[in-house]
Amino acid sequence: MSDKVNPLKGISVVLVFAGFMWFLWWSLSNTSSELPSQLIDRPVPQFSVSELLDENKQHTPDLFKEKISLLNVFASWCPACYDEHPYWDIYAQRDDLQIVGLNYKDKKDKALYFLETQGNPYEHILFDSSGRLGIEFGVYGAPETFLIGPNGKVRYRHVGVVTPAVFEEKFEPLISQIKQGF
Amino acid sequence: MKFFTFIFVSFFSLIATANVAIFKFENELQEKRFKVLVAELRCPTCQNQNLADSNSMVAEDLKQIVYEQIIAGKTDEQILSFMKQRYGEFILYEPEIQSNIILWVGPFIFLVLALTGFLIWYKNNKVESSDD
Repeated sequence: MSDKVNPLKGISVVLVFAGFMWFLWWSLSNTSSELPSQLIDRPVPQFSVSELLDENKQHTPDLFKEKISLLNVFASWCPACYDEHPYWDIYAQRDDLQIVGLNYKDKKDKALYFLETQGNPYEHILFDSSGRLGIEFGVYGAPETFLIGPNGKVRYRHVGVVTPAVFEEKFEPLISQIKQGF
Repeated sequence: MKFFTFIFVSFFSLIATANVAIFKFENELQEKRFKVLVAELRCPTCQNQNLADSNSMVAEDLKQIVYEQIIAGKTDEQILSFMKQRYGEFILYEPEIQSNIILWVGPFIFLVLALTGFLIWYKNNKVESSDD
């Protein structure tokens, strides 16, 4: 039996093993409870729901044509929505964005009271008291925010509060991409 | 003591049946299908529970949808694909495409690699020892 152990062989075995361990570690730390949206790069689902502030007015996906939209799923029963709401005043000041609300599984009077006391940053508000539109969008908790391109396709979905940091990091790059035609 | 245990336990079974009892089915098969489906579907909000066990708002809505679609004559496959289109593979407790395929195949790959390695080592060893 030869006494010499090929050093290359030994190193490669260690490297392969280390690589595998790294992969396992990476898989562990990569687990996220955030569900990926099924709508990414797909058109928004078909719908026809009334405007919260005017029940005679119907909204359809045509709402998202022409402008880049942020669709914010909110409700008066959702504690984090109160934290998030002031930020929407900031985003609503931008001319290049259309801020649309989706009032999710709320009572009308409570929703109106929420807007009265917290302010109304939305250009339009989809009134989804049954929560069925939310399910079409794959909503599983409020607040959620969808970035929708002027072609009516969903580009991104964020679950949780859209803080200015989140906006800067996640939304801004995609918004400039959309503007460049991607 | 036995009596209290009985009361305690029966209280739980009441909760468990109350969930299904809200829904009125036309026949037993429909009810059976409902029970299987809500057990197979995962609650998107709570993630460690199926729809049957969850009282979260989304889970309640999804159960209602499963019920409505069964009554409307949809097949199990149609109902599952409805859910999958909106919430992804995740909602199925038994996903069709294994995103964790490495966990299933990995050990066998390692077994084959180890056996091959062993055979090569064994062969070399044998040749060298016969030289002695």
